[in-house]
Amino acid sequence: MADTDTQQVDRPEGAIPDANVTVDRPGYPDEVALEGDDNIESELMTLNMGPQHPSTHGVLRLELKTDGEIIEHVRPHIGYLHRCFEKHAESLSYPQVIPFTDRMDYLAAMNNNLAYCLAVERLLEIEIPERVEYVRVIICELNRLASHLVSFGTYGMDIGAFTPFLFAFREREDIFDLFEMTCGARMLYNYIWVGGVSHDFPPGFVEKCTAFLDKFEGKINDYNNLLSYNKIFIERTANIGVLPVDKAYSYNLTGPNLRGSGVKWDLRRDDPYSIYDRFEFDIPVGSGEMGQLGDCWDRYMVRIREMGESVRIIRQALEQMPDGDVHKAVPRNVRPPKDAECYTRSETPRGEMGIYVISDGSNVPYRVKVKSPCFTAISAMNFLTRGHYVADIIAVIGSIDIVLGEVDR
Amino acid sequence: MGRYFSNIVQSISTIWTGMNITLKHLFTPSITLQYPEERWEMPERARNQLFNDIDDCIGCDQCARACPVDCIYIETEKVGEDIDLGLTSKGTKKRLKVLRFDIDMSLCCYCGLCTYPCPTECLIMTPHYEASVYDRTDLLYKYAKPWEYDDLESADASKDTDKEAATAG
Ligand code: SF4
Ligand code: SF4
Repeated sequence: MADTDTQQVDRPEGAIPDANVTVDRPGYPDEVALEGDDNIESELMTLNMGPQHPSTHGVLRLELKTDGEIIEHVRPHIGYLHRCFEKHAESLSYPQVIPFTDRMDYLAAMNNNLAYCLAVERLLEIEIPERVEYVRVIICELNRLASHLVSFGTYGMDIGAFTPFLFAFREREDIFDLFEMTCGARMLYNYIWVGGVSHDFPPGFVEKCTAFLDKFEGKINDYNNLLSYNKIFIERTANIGVLPVDKAYSYNLTGPNLRGSGVKWDLRRDDPYSIYDRFEFDIPVGSGEMGQLGDCWDRYMVRIREMGESVRIIRQALEQMPDGDVHKAVPRNVRPPKDAECYTRSETPRGEMGIYVISDGSNVPYRVKVKSPCFTAISAMNFLTRGHYVADIIAVIGSIDIVLGEVDR
Repeated sequence: MGRYFSNIVQSISTIWTGMNITLKHLFTPSITLQYPEERWEMPERARNQLFNDIDDCIGCDQCARACPVDCIYIETEKVGEDIDLGLTSKGTKKRLKVLRFDIDMSLCCYCGLCTYPCPTECLIMTPHYEASVYDRTDLLYKYAKPWEYDDLESADASKDTDKEAATAG
């Protein structure tokens, strides 16, 4: 059984940079104050953005209170994609829940599968075969690539660059081809099972995957030249939506959003689950290169750099992968002991996903609770956008990379 | 003022870098296909349209129980010891008449869970993906062939009249 110990791990020394970042916001609140003329009645305008809006990455409705062009308050209204995942899970047997976890964060379904399976495996206390662990790591990191590609592509499109979107989706297509030849599905896989995976890699997978990685590594440079270092893009994202470290902690942001603020915190390294402790990889963090630490550009760049790290992990895993049977440890009947409960967390492309499962001894979970990284990220929306221009909301939403399917579940 | 001009220079130079990348793609072969005329090869494991080979189905109901959205509807009927329904292609003896085997593909979430427990491997997901229909009711795929049992019934009628009466009713 993988080590998914839930005890608190101390954040390493020096991981937390100086938190005294002053947030520079255009024109709020001092300059906005009306000058002198008491006769002018001024009131805030309420503006609805969404739910049908191309840049809200799903169905998110934002209620904006604006003072002219300046945002005074943002309130996200969620729930448009609510599908009762947690309640639904209480009426399905443990393996039957897995297809529903796919549909939470549909851009990184493999990582969701893994998060749930880790929890159930911990309840059952089963030993996972070596090969399965490697297969899972490879598949999850590939999915992380696919997810970050979408985030990168759509972010470019939100800001007004269409080409990166097409480039990103072209590479994502190759990843989906790998998934399709492995498990038959392109987006919603039901691939990682409790105790194993549904199919072993087909013959030719390793070669095809290596060929893809070779091709992809060069592409990251292209993305940087095309979008990351483009002056217009930098102007739109640098110094926008600055998130100081202390705020990032108090909003409980995780994943690339937290790392964008300069915190070296990644569960794959700091609380390793599965076999992530066997691989060498760096954790990219934001450094305020283009503006202030923790701005949109930093969060964006963390994702781009993480893609390179994922490629490194996949290469190592492909090299070390042993042979074996992927179905050996799949239990015939998933029946955790009575009153067992556990909380496991894992690093999905959007941050820390925690799954809490309580068993009542039957083959149906008594309770499944999901701690969703996007849900906490969206709570910072008001802080991030306050005092910016309306147009900057788009840049902020894209940079925290939310998937509404996971916010609402 | 200096900043103003340096911004312009940087914008032009970074856009030029980007445009060079775009320009290179003018000379790379296209990766898209003209869909209805050309099609991708689907991998062998592709999980699309469900298909049930009803001649091999023993009506054990395991697939319907595995389905998380309950979109497989099976009705079976026991037959007496003396009636032989034949064997499946893998040699399992059929003991149940499958009177109804419907899959509602409009509810199916293509998870594939139903295909794994099938003892005779007759329920499979095929690579066939063009399953659009004009009417939603057409997505209810009916696989059972209850009429095939009629012949069987008449052949055995002389032996067991009670049973036939029961089935007819
Ligand atoms: S693929 Fe899944 S949803 Fe569809 S019939 Fe089979 S078990 Fe049910
Ligand atoms: S599991 Fe297979 S044999 Fe059993 S009812 Fe379903 S399709 Fe028929």
